[in-house]
Amino acid sequence: MSFLERVDQSIRRSVVWRSLFRQPYPNDERSRAYAVMNNVFLHIHPVRVRQHAVKFAYTFCLGGLSFFLFLVLTVTGVYLMFFYVPSATQAYSNILSIQSEVAFGLLTRNIHRWAAHLMVFFVFLHMMRVFYHGAYKPPREFNWVVGVVLLFVTLMLSFTGYLLPWDQIAYWAITIGTNMGGYAPLLNTPTKLILLGGLEVGQNTLLRFYVLHIMFFPLVAAIFLAVHFWRIRKDGGISGPL
Amino acid sequence: MTDVKTPPEPRTVVPVDPARRTEIDKQRVPMSARPYRLLALVKQDAVVRVQKEPDDTVMTWPHLLSIEFLAGALMSIFLLMMGLFVNAPLEALANSNVTPAVAKAPWYFLGLQELLSYFHPTVAGVMVPTFVLVGAALIPYVDRGNLAATRPSQRKTAVVLFSMFCALGLIVTFVGIFFRGPGYAFVIPYLNTDGLHFSL
Repeated sequence: MSFLERVDQSIRRSVVWRSLFRQPYPNDERSRAYAVMNNVFLHIHPVRVRQHAVKFAYTFCLGGLSFFLFLVLTVTGVYLMFFYVPSATQAYSNILSIQSEVAFGLLTRNIHRWAAHLMVFFVFLHMMRVFYHGAYKPPREFNWVVGVVLLFVTLMLSFTGYLLPWDQIAYWAITIGTNMGGYAPLLNTPTKLILLGGLEVGQNTLLRFYVLHIMFFPLVAAIFLAVHFWRIRKDGGISGPL
Repeated sequence: MTDVKTPPEPRTVVPVDPARRTEIDKQRVPMSARPYRLLALVKQDAVVRVQKEPDDTVMTWPHLLSIEFLAGALMSIFLLMMGLFVNAPLEALANSNVTPAVAKAPWYFLGLQELLSYFHPTVAGVMVPTFVLVGAALIPYVDRGNLAATRPSQRKTAVVLFSMFCALGLIVTFVGIFFRGPGYAFVIPYLNTDGLHFSL
């Protein structure tokens, strides 16, 4: 037995290791089942899945990657929050200092931006995949409705984040976007006032969009994601095969 | 004359040649031993048979988890490359007094902005998105024709309608991205204008 093997053995036999993992490394069917069942992160999955469901060409991993991007956005977003103040006078200079002074600030902001666009794109693609497979048919009707809510939440997450850099693109894109809300029948004036917190995009708008972006919509998304995943299991796994 | 009941001849078990004994022979019990009695005949139908479907499942670990891990890893690499080599756009400080040459919504709302140049804002900005979202949510309750049909060939109407809707959305978004220049006027991209009037 080589030195590395002895180290490996002594780690796996240690009290700490055995308190972390309740079964040996998953090599046979029984321990593999336990590995999925006993792990808080993995037990979102059933122990066994239908064979067609693991084929890449059936799902293209679109839903899973949308969720993965949501996690990436959460992590990078939390890091960016340390260096950002939602104030009309400070926001822009905060972005500049994130890009130039903060460790990995530019990289984090870039990843946050690209992951956000990609998440919207993947959610659209996921929705199309589900439609073409007829996967919204009974018993999965309500999960489709939950998915539409998640699409809306994703769009709102991206849209509210768009304003935060407080540059010209952000300012005028949000001006155009919220102007549309001003044309809502009957509710036009209140809708625009509620969205902007004033007559035009300003400090109140920035604060509103910030709170919606970092707290409200992520929480709503987390709740609906939980329901979405739960119902996949309860509706008998993913649809198909075709 | 009386019938003399002759005692039955003792049954003899012909021994099987040990060289040719099969598994069945080993389990064979001499009939004379009578280890059982026939109690009843049960019809085949009455026996409870467990309906076992053909098992087409695989273990989540490793079959599903390895694919998920690979997809997540590739996506991480892609994001890292994008983050390293392509900077997120950042323009000048927001200024409500300086209107840019063209102000465009984020790409996922550009289709709606494109519709704004054809329809009244109440239609393009409020009614269309509302109908699209509510309509999308109602799809499973409207498409009740053949609930078992999942192949695209079995549900041509749904597939054609949905594809037309997607194509329409793509076209208006593409026009909004590439063919709209200063003042949101129609332009041919890269012709007489300085590049694309679009930023992500």
